[in-house]
Amino acid sequence: MSADTAAVVVDHVSKKFKLYRERNQTLKSAVMRGRKTVAEEFWAVNDVSFEVPEGHTFGLIGRNGSGKSTLLKTLARIYYPDAGSITLRGKAASLLEVGSGFHPELSGRENVYLNASILGLKRREVDARFDEIVEFSGVEKFIDQPVKNYSSGMYVRLGFSVAVHTNPDILVVDEVLAVGDGAFKEKSRQKFLEFTRDGKTVILVSHSLPQIREMCDQVAWLDKGTLREVGDAETVTEHYEKALVDEKE
Amino acid sequence: MTYLKELFATRELLYNLTMREVKGQYRRTVLGQLWSLLNPIATMLVYTVVFSFIFRARPHVGDPSGLDIYPLWLMCGLLPWLYFSRVVNGGLNSMVSNSGLIKKVYFPRMHLPFSVTASVGFTWLIEMGVLVLALQIFGGWPIWWIPVALLVMVLLAFFAVGVAMMLAITNVHFRDTQHFTTIVLQMWMYLTPIIYPLSLVENAARDIGDWVLTVYRLNPMERFVEVFRNLLYDNRWPELGDTLFIVAVSGIVFTLGFWVFSRNERRLAELL
Repeated sequence: MSADTAAVVVDHVSKKFKLYRERNQTLKSAVMRGRKTVAEEFWAVNDVSFEVPEGHTFGLIGRNGSGKSTLLKTLARIYYPDAGSITLRGKAASLLEVGSGFHPELSGRENVYLNASILGLKRREVDARFDEIVEFSGVEKFIDQPVKNYSSGMYVRLGFSVAVHTNPDILVVDEVLAVGDGAFKEKSRQKFLEFTRDGKTVILVSHSLPQIREMCDQVAWLDKGTLREVGDAETVTEHYEKALVDEKE
Repeated sequence: MTYLKELFATRELLYNLTMREVKGQYRRTVLGQLWSLLNPIATMLVYTVVFSFIFRARPHVGDPSGLDIYPLWLMCGLLPWLYFSRVVNGGLNSMVSNSGLIKKVYFPRMHLPFSVTASVGFTWLIEMGVLVLALQIFGGWPIWWIPVALLVMVLLAFFAVGVAMMLAITNVHFRDTQHFTTIVLQMWMYLTPIIYPLSLVENAARDIGDWVLTVYRLNPMERFVEVFRNLLYDNRWPELGDTLFIVAVSGIVFTLGFWVFSRNERRLAELL
């Protein structure tokens, strides 16, 4: 894979967290601690490098605490790497939690505009896509109701719909495919396929290996913050499954 | 510089966050936006009864406006103070109260304290409008001074958000900040000539020594209150010294707040 077709280049990225023995964020504890640092360093992501080719769906797999989510948040510019760099070609949008930033007292319509602008869309652009967003979410009837009256499914569907309609070049997704009922899941799957058909890139984290195999072309396997393997989805998931079984024995 | 550019490019987000505050605040209340007026009016009544009737505090007579009405004189200082304290409180809490958003989406975080400043400013603008109307009705002539007063309001907004940005970062590290600030703001209010006239302090300074007044007047809010009263209550130009003082303080405090905030912004998501 040559550099000019890579949508995302992850170059020796490391991210550390400080673990405080006392998780007490008060001035008193800081003063008592004095100059001594009691923080331990913990490398959640350690020297990970890979490239994500443009127009493909890329999966991140690994066990709990393997650093998938940290890496995803770093890709979404919520965390900043302590070492290494991430290069994104094009506009990136993240879908780590849908409907974040919804104001419960405001109507669905107002929240669509608010949420879309948090995700970086201009008012004009929302105007143009508004009907599409509402139709996709399937909450037409309730769009002028305050979202606090929405069922949790409606809430999530509307949030999801706004996010996928922000028209990013790179979409970063954290297990949100598990939202909504079967019909909506199928709809979102179709949307992702449409994305990659248009030459856009999707990066997703999932614990469901069948889903990963079905949707992803390439997969990176993370283990305790380091990269175990990256490559073809079938091969890597097979190795991963084998490792899980081996461990149990 | 790139950060400023990004802030400017996402200015629509600032507008939307501000409207979220403005619209969300009085939803499901019968009186709606009227509540923002009832609050200062209630405060005004309390202070007027206590200080005007019980302690018999005398404001100075407006020069040249000739006004001599304690509640109006009080409000010219109280409304700017209330604005300041609401921006500082709201701004310093804006990181913690929006932590869900900060941890899930990337956007320039500075829009959060800015949106507090703007949404509280919206309420303040209405309050000041009513005050100007009242001053006009009772014989003053504040209308000509509105443009200058608006400029001073902008200066106060810069000063307030500068303080709020520094405290917001501190509050992420130590949640003590919010409780500590409540106490400091309370004391700060009484150290500012809002409910009593500056002449009381001047009298005291004559007995104790001039340094008292010098120290007392280091308080930027004292200058702001003075300037607002000059413009709206007295209807005259403020002292050049006061004007320069507030311009300088606003500039310095805002720059400092901006610097502190932008340097710490990247780590907010993991610290919250």
